[in-house]
Amino acid sequence: MYKVTFKFENSEDVTVFAAFGESLLEVARKTNVAIDAPCSGNASCGKCKVKLISGELDSKKTRHITDEEYKEGWRLACVSTISADVEILVPDIASAYRSRMKVADLSSPDEIKIFDDIKSSITEAGIELKNNLEIIELHMEVPTLDDTMPDNERLVRAMRAATGMERVKLPYSVLKKLPDVLRKEAFHVKTVIRKTPRDLFVYDIFPASQEVIVAGAAIDIGTTTVSAILINMLNGTILAKGSSGNGQIRYGADVINRIIESDKPGGKERLQKAVIEETINPLIHNMCRQAHIKKQNIYRMCIAGNTTMNHLLMGINANPLRMEPYIPTFFKTNSLFAQDIGVDVNPDAHIILAPNIGSYVGGDITAGAFVSMLWNKPEFSLFIDLGTNGEIVFGNSDFMMSCACSAGPAFEGGDISCGMRATDGAIEACTIDAETMEPDFRIVGAPGTKPIGLCGSGIIDVISELFRCGIIDPKGKFVREGERVKRDAFGMGSYVLAFEADAGSVKDVEITEVDIDNFIRAKGAIFSAIRTMLAYCDFDISMIENVYVAGGIGSGINMENAINIGMFPDVPLEMYHYIGNSSLAGAYAMLYSTASERKVYEIAQNMTYIELSAIPQYMDEFVGACFLPHTNASLFPNR
Amino acid sequence: MPFTAKSGKFNASINTVEIGTGDKAIKIGGENVLPLYSFDAPIENAPKVGIEITDFGMENEPDCIKKYYEGCDTLADIAKKAASFEGVDFLCFRMEGGDPNGANKTVEELIGALKEIAAVVDLPLAVAGCKNAEKDAQLLSKAAEALDGKNAMFLSAKEENYKTVGAAAGLAYKQIVGAESSVDINLAKQLNVLMTQLGVNPKSVVMNVGTATAGYGFEYVVSTMDRIKAAALSQNDTNLQMPIVTPVASETWSVKESVSSEADVPEWGCQETRGIDMEVETAIADIASGSNAVILKHPTSIATISNLMKELV
Repeated sequence: MYKVTFKFENSEDVTVFAAFGESLLEVARKTNVAIDAPCSGNASCGKCKVKLISGELDSKKTRHITDEEYKEGWRLACVSTISADVEILVPDIASAYRSRMKVADLSSPDEIKIFDDIKSSITEAGIELKNNLEIIELHMEVPTLDDTMPDNERLVRAMRAATGMERVKLPYSVLKKLPDVLRKEAFHVKTVIRKTPRDLFVYDIFPASQEVIVAGAAIDIGTTTVSAILINMLNGTILAKGSSGNGQIRYGADVINRIIESDKPGGKERLQKAVIEETINPLIHNMCRQAHIKKQNIYRMCIAGNTTMNHLLMGINANPLRMEPYIPTFFKTNSLFAQDIGVDVNPDAHIILAPNIGSYVGGDITAGAFVSMLWNKPEFSLFIDLGTNGEIVFGNSDFMMSCACSAGPAFEGGDISCGMRATDGAIEACTIDAETMEPDFRIVGAPGTKPIGLCGSGIIDVISELFRCGIIDPKGKFVREGERVKRDAFGMGSYVLAFEADAGSVKDVEITEVDIDNFIRAKGAIFSAIRTMLAYCDFDISMIENVYVAGGIGSGINMENAINIGMFPDVPLEMYHYIGNSSLAGAYAMLYSTASERKVYEIAQNMTYIELSAIPQYMDEFVGACFLPHTNASLFPNR
Repeated sequence: MPFTAKSGKFNASINTVEIGTGDKAIKIGGENVLPLYSFDAPIENAPKVGIEITDFGMENEPDCIKKYYEGCDTLADIAKKAASFEGVDFLCFRMEGGDPNGANKTVEELIGALKEIAAVVDLPLAVAGCKNAEKDAQLLSKAAEALDGKNAMFLSAKEENYKTVGAAAGLAYKQIVGAESSVDINLAKQLNVLMTQLGVNPKSVVMNVGTATAGYGFEYVVSTMDRIKAAALSQNDTNLQMPIVTPVASETWSVKESVSSEADVPEWGCQETRGIDMEVETAIADIASGSNAVILKHPTSIATISNLMKELV
């Protein structure tokens, strides 16, 4: 056995013993040392870079590491095996997904506006903004020697008198605190209850004078990013919001790799733990601290995620999802409670899951389609959710079709050499001077933040600009030479956005031909899915009147650039609406409004799912779309 | 009521491309009807037939080919002989030996051989590479220089090397550039777009959209060529109006039906007949699907196709 010491820039060392030949990445995983490995350790993404400080590692050199970096000790954890005692520095870049958790109040008026807009459009659609949680204040007779009714019966009787409901349920958690709370203010209490036509459920009980917030949490579980908001269930105001990388990332960047990982011994438990204990619970903890409430005061949760995420969250075998004929265990379920899966909120809190409608079109889409309101409009709209899986809904108040295409992680910065999520240091917008080929860009973070990489919206801009300036050809290959165009030993071209000296990382921030190729495939997948689905229903692009674009690929997408590269159809720009994280917004609506929840179930029921892989034309469309802007230039007449 | 046939001719047409110079120059393309539909409108240029020889001379050829070249000692002799067979419209020199994973002959050696051939043959010339994109970039660029003024055809520029090959053959020496893609209408079109954006005159581009031997997944070839012609003619897609040139011999003379000897599979009968059959069947299927020229090897196949074209067009 050899001693392996992981060192960090900002935290204490972790020491562990490992056998000869064990993979460094595996050792790190077993020890819970977070190293980002979106490609699941296939040496294809180059994200698991670590630095050898002392000792030895048996390590292959890959194209992700330059000679210079190799000399300095940089290694990919996934291709390194243990051969001696060793000290490893895990840089912040690699463990960043963990610290990338951001919690903030909703100070930005833009964000508040998104939720206000949703509320008003829901009301306009005639849907009641109301849920069945409420606070009821009860006065009971103080027991005496002549009145010896037990506490719980006394409470139930008072509840019946106050509400007229016959069936009242008291869970163990309430029973446990009941005697103390009742006696604090002479049997004058507040209760948090849920009232349905059939029964009444008591979630919690407090002394009457105590200020009580009935909170709820809406969570969007993305394959890459998890976002959440904490709301006041009684008036719908948002108390806190937060986002974090999905802790499952280190087990694979896409749903297929995650499912494969979950199928290994203990895998279901590991993945469930990664998303609940390492992601959702810390997020809730931080949001509660921000909002000054207790976790136990969260009485309801709504989770929107894709079908795989829902299965993995619940620890259910997801393997049938990736095997023909791709059958999920459930589309929707009503019987999930916080204590079932160990979510750290009130143990009796009901967890609402936005319903799935196909193995690859999940609750994130049904929730998103709900808030896009396309189901409430006579004109035809297109809803596009850009994520690791691209999901598309087309329809109007009469019908809805949906499909999913595998876009890969490129929109969120995966599979791109300098790709990253839209966090500090990410280039999120860019223009290039056609003459000098010099770039100008906007970076996420405080003023003065140095560029580290590119997030989805930045990649769209860079590729569109490179193409506009004639620096790359329609296949994404470099055709102009200049100071910023580099070629490696294999002749592969790249464009340098920021030279090492100006960058916030240890190397040039650049975009390579391979990156561009990956991105062209991602955009090709989206566009061909749109075309194929429209053609399938005998529609064409000219019939679209609204396009709703959702997804967390940056603070906003430059729609014009996205059309320029042929990612979105060439319809007038004013038809495009960026609706942010619609999955989270939909989860919010379902959480706060019981009628909205019902509407989402109805939408899920009415949406037709098309399996693109069963349509032969899709492959043809895809190859045609892997070109800038498109092989069929007449589809982009204005470009 | 009398039946009045309606002409199926289109308003768009395939580009006419001239290959070679002088009396022997040939024209391919130009039609405004579907392949061989001469009853809809006259087809000015019947599909043409080329003969293929390689830098290995007769070294790797089957006996049934060798016997036609008896007494030929040099590559120049072979070329002269090849050009003399009935029905040969142009000569294609394949620089097979350039393959770095094969004989890896130098560019100089192969260009020398090409010059030898060019000196003795007055037929239009086509030059094919060794199928290694990187080497072909050098080979075909040098070949374009060596054949300056001959209006020769270069087979082919691929996505990986179109810039070099297109620039040398198409821009610098104004020759005819073949654009090679692998049996996919979109990839074919993409390469044509790239080539035209590079500045190559679309009227100097021919396509090799890929082929297979008949029976070896050939339906993909048929569908690709069909759709290319349909897009070119009915939708006036200028990026697909380039004539199609299909090298057939290099495909059909490597399948087991053509290479297995009679001793090995007596029940299949004469090897030469089989080889010719495979070549002829593939060639005519390519032509019927839209090829404007085919490149063959066996003199009997060439005569057969050539005569068939005279009858049909």
